[in-house]
Parts: sequence; structure tokens; C-alpha cells
Amino acid sequence: MDYLWGTTILVGFYLGGSALHRAGVPIPGGVLGLLLFYLALASGLLKTAWVERASTFLLRHMVLLFVPLTIGLMDMRELLSRQWLAIVASLVVSLLAVLLTTALLGRWILPVEPGLHKDADCAGQGEDR
Amino acid sequence: MSASFWAGNPVVSIAVTLLAYALAIRLHRQWKWIPPIVAACVPVVAVLLMLREPYSLYNRGGSYLTWWLGPATVALGFPMHKHGVVLRRSLPRLACVVFAGSIVGMSTAGLTAWLLHAPLPVVMSAVPKSVTTPIAIEVCRELNGIPQITIAMVILAGVLGATFGVPLLRLLRVHDDRAVGAAIGTTSHGIGTASLVRQSEMRATVSSWAMAAAGVFTSLLAALLALLMRW
Repeated sequence: MDYLWGTTILVGFYLGGSALHRAGVPIPGGVLGLLLFYLALASGLLKTAWVERASTFLLRHMVLLFVPLTIGLMDMRELLSRQWLAIVASLVVSLLAVLLTTALLGRWILPVEPGLHKDADCAGQGEDR
Repeated sequence: MSASFWAGNPVVSIAVTLLAYALAIRLHRQWKWIPPIVAACVPVVAVLLMLREPYSLYNRGGSYLTWWLGPATVALGFPMHKHGVVLRRSLPRLACVVFAGSIVGMSTAGLTAWLLHAPLPVVMSAVPKSVTTPIAIEVCRELNGIPQITIAMVILAGVLGATFGVPLLRLLRVHDDRAVGAAIGTTSHGIGTASLVRQSEMRATVSSWAMAAAGVFTSLLAALLALLMRW
């Protein structure tokens, strides 16, 4: 019952988000659903206990959900053989760029508040080195 | 037996995919280095090729599974809320970091592919490559990219970041748990986050918040990009 009720809520938010998307909001339906769902949780309209198990279950088995699309790569051998260099280069360049931007900016601005600084130091000890 | 057995029956597609996934999970538990997505796809592709069942027929059933990526995207709001409560004091700064990472990720991915003369659909498929799969696919569709290419890039970004991300950051002397979590979550979404769970709770918490936020920011930025392109 827990799973059923939670899944129904998730599907409801997805359908709601998709309806808004079709009505002209330029953000994907799933993301609109996510934002509404987040607001409902943050405002307390939706109890976390109602959706915890269904959400965790769906996220844990997300890999299953993108198996069919990934299998579609079998029809793209020709495109991949022509474009692999652009794809791999774009992947590596962008990966390094994001990692550096977020890590350096994060190191610079995240520990500024004194309370956070202490917290971060405690948690960080023992892991590195 | 081939044509009459399968012949685009959606139930058979779903059953075969579920079976392959269940086996892939088993394999992954036994040998950690085998990515479940690869282990799940290879046998299905092999069976499809052997029975000469075209992908389009298989996908009549497959698309029912794909549909559930929508509710899975919504479900991301749950960890975002749960971890947002823990992190509430640093959320504005964290959001800035993730936002900057999202802009840099989208533009460098798109520009690199474009500079190497990739056709527009491939360029657009590269743009959402840093974010979690269900959101990346939605963004890719909005931008008229090719979802399969996006998925392959998303998975590679996850595996590469999970493997080399933390050692690279250590080399750069980034040790702060929040910075590491934000960087890995923004770069390598769920796959990266999973790799942090054993390191520290703070890293994993920041990373899962960052992964969901990066997805939201990227889809907002992509909506803007799509508007500009239509102009």
C-alpha cells in the first residue's frame, strides 16, 4: 500500500508537470513535476513518509528505466563511427571544466560562514591522506 | 521461432528487459567493476540481433519502461528535500556553485562538439551530458538532440568522474567535503554520488543535492537556449 500510494503521487506530479508543459511552459514536464513535488514537500503539504519508499525504490532501479533507450545505440553504429571523436572530446573537455569550476568555486565560497567552516573541518578529517 | 515468438509484442520486450536487468544486478553484486547498464544491455542486444528483431519493434514494449523516467525525475525531489533540510544554511552558496558548474558544463560540451564539426543534433545531445539520466533525456528532447547519444555520454561522465574525480581533486588540494561533494554531484550525477557514500556522509549529502539541482538548473538554462534558437 505504501509503494502504491507513493507511486500514485509521483505519477500524479509527473502528469501535472507534463500538462503544464503542454500548456506552454518551456521546462520539461518531469522537471516541472519535480519542482512542484519539492515545493509540496518543503511546505509540508506532502508528508515525506507518504513518498519515501516509492521515491527511493524508483531511484534505486533507475538503471532499468534507461535500458531500452541505451539499446537504441545498436541502430546508431554508423553515426557513432563518424562522430566518436567529437563525442569523446566534448565529454572529456566538459567533464574537466565542470569539475574544476565547481571544486575551485566551492572551495572558495563554501566555507566562508564560520559555522560551516568548523563543520566541514570535522567531517573532512581522516578521509584525505 | 523468431518472428512468431517476439514480433514486437510489448510484454515480451518488457519481460526480456526485466530479466536482463535482474541478471545484471546479480553480476554487479558479484563483480563490482561491471556497470549494471552495460551488463543489462549486452544480452538484450545479442538476442535482438540473433532473432533479427529490429529495435523499433523491441521498443514498442521498451517505451513503457522509458515512460517511467518521468516519475523517476519527480522522485529526485525527495532526496533534494531531505538533504536540503540538512544543508539549509549553505544552500544559497551551494546553489551558486552548482549553477556556475551547469553553465560551464553545457557550454563547454556543446562548443567542443560544435568546433569539431559535429552535426547540430549531436551538439545538442552533448549539452545535457553532466546531469542525471532522466533529466538529461528530457533536456535532449527539448533541444532536438538524440537521446541515445546523450545517455552514452551521461553514463561515461558518471563513470569517469566517479573513478578519477576525487583523486584529481586531491591533486588540486581540494579537501573540503562540501566542495568535493558539489563538484562530483554536478559532474557525475548519481554514479558519482554513489561513489562518495563510502567516503563521508557530508560528501554524499552535498553531492546528491548538487546532482538534483544541476538537473533543474540545466533544464532551465536549456529552455532559455531553446527560446534563443527559435528566435
